[in-house]
Amino acid sequence: MNIVTLCGLGVGSSLMLKMTVEEILEEEGIKGRVENLDLGSAKAKQADLYVVSKDMETNLRDVEGKIIFIENLTDKEEVRKKFLEIVK
Amino acid sequence: MTEVISAFVGIIKTPAVILGLIALLGLLVQKKSFSQVVEGTLKTMLGLLILSAGAGLIVENLAPFSEMFTDAFNLTGVVPFDEAVVGALSEKVGMIAQNTSLILAIGFLVNVILARITPFKYIFLTGHMMWIMAGGLAWAFYDLGVSELNTIIYGSFIQGCVLLLLPAIAQPIVRKITGNDKIAYGHLTTIGVVASAYVGKIFGNSAKDAEDMELPEGLSFFKDTAISVSLVMLIIYLITAIFTGAETMAKYAGETNFIVYSILKGLGFAAGVLILLQGVRLFLGEIIPAFKGIGMKIVPGARPALDVPVFFSYAPKSLMLGFIFAIPGMLVGLFVSSFFGTVIPLPSIIGGFFTGGMAGIFGNALGGRRGSMIAGFVYGLFLTIPVALFYPLYNLAEYGVQGVAYLVSDGIAVLSLIKLSFSTGFPVIGLLVFLAIFVFLCIRFKNRNENYQLEQ
Repeated sequence: MNIVTLCGLGVGSSLMLKMTVEEILEEEGIKGRVENLDLGSAKAKQADLYVVSKDMETNLRDVEGKIIFIENLTDKEEVRKKFLEIVK
Repeated sequence: MTEVISAFVGIIKTPAVILGLIALLGLLVQKKSFSQVVEGTLKTMLGLLILSAGAGLIVENLAPFSEMFTDAFNLTGVVPFDEAVVGALSEKVGMIAQNTSLILAIGFLVNVILARITPFKYIFLTGHMMWIMAGGLAWAFYDLGVSELNTIIYGSFIQGCVLLLLPAIAQPIVRKITGNDKIAYGHLTTIGVVASAYVGKIFGNSAKDAEDMELPEGLSFFKDTAISVSLVMLIIYLITAIFTGAETMAKYAGETNFIVYSILKGLGFAAGVLILLQGVRLFLGEIIPAFKGIGMKIVPGARPALDVPVFFSYAPKSLMLGFIFAIPGMLVGLFVSSFFGTVIPLPSIIGGFFTGGMAGIFGNALGGRRGSMIAGFVYGLFLTIPVALFYPLYNLAEYGVQGVAYLVSDGIAVLSLIKLSFSTGFPVIGLLVFLAIFVFLCIRFKNRNENYQLEQ
């Protein structure tokens, strides 16, 4: 599956999220590609799933597709839980 | 034979190749597959080339602006933007580009080794900040006429120490915000943000938490860099164009209507920013995962020092307060800067939102609602006044980089200390003083840390 992680600049915390999601993919044995991007480019990027910080919820109102909002960007288990809910 | 060797050395010293080799090493250490290694290495090299193109576009779109600003106000206006400074310097001066890449890589290793042997267990992982610091050091030593080898040695050492020590400064506040000791603040705005927060503490009241307030959500679009940079540059460009006047503007715009011209230039700047960030994204995406893997393996239990948005969700309202109050702070700072006779730092909206917001979060942790507002305002001053004072210390326009300025408070502090140390004529003294302070800090920090652990 194609996954896009997002943050304001698209270079800092979205990269951290990307690394977290990649770890989860590997641990769960799911095949997928993860890319990190800035918020503004989200609309132009088709993805099966977007992963983004909770405080950016209002910025993604127009983006179509599945989005999971993460409250604590450093909490891998939160990402895993929300990710698996979508995948299953 | 000598030609082959010199061609080989020439290739190795190309900045894109240096960074490509670093990525290659990192990918091999992570035991990635062959296709992943090839892809990652190529992407890193492309990233550096894209970054240069973006920096070129930024400078190109800003060039008329600097002259317009002088025509309009008889002052030199600059846009504080670190990535553009380092990107453009790398494009113009090959030596700076090459040393930046090497300092970035070796400085990281110094960070890891020091984290292993000193009580400071921090691994700095905010890639674009590491790059800006490395670029700042390469620029400073180049400007001071330091030899290539010494630039790499001292630059990497200073880089590693700075990346190690900065998170420690913010950690007491970070513990308060996150409620644990697992992550750290990894950004080159630490001094500014922490100092602002302590000012907020003095005048604030920690009993009234900013998070209990009601705030409108309308400002959240500022998180989208493309939008916020475009809007602010449009406004700045248009105001300057109107003050320059239609007649003088013909000099720049030619046949084009001067308002249309200003809009296109303002948006052109934002386009450059987006391209530059795309380049940064490509090369950091390959290097940072390797850094993280290596760092966490060599220093078990280390705290990763992370980028600002990691802390946003802990205090979203303080973030907004900090940002809102950083704006008047920047305007006051802009006004004050006009008396220094150097440059006028224009409001930096990325700085205002991301790090002004961070000042708000830190300010709220120490001084509640009022502390958050005051910290935001004070941090607005940090985004302008030091920028203007620092600007003349190192040549920039002489290298063909005009209209932008170095912004981050920690970078300014470190480069200013280097300049001070060199101005004594015996820079080695500066290094020795620094080493003595470092050892002293290690001992003190160790004791304090043990006390903290005992309390827990």
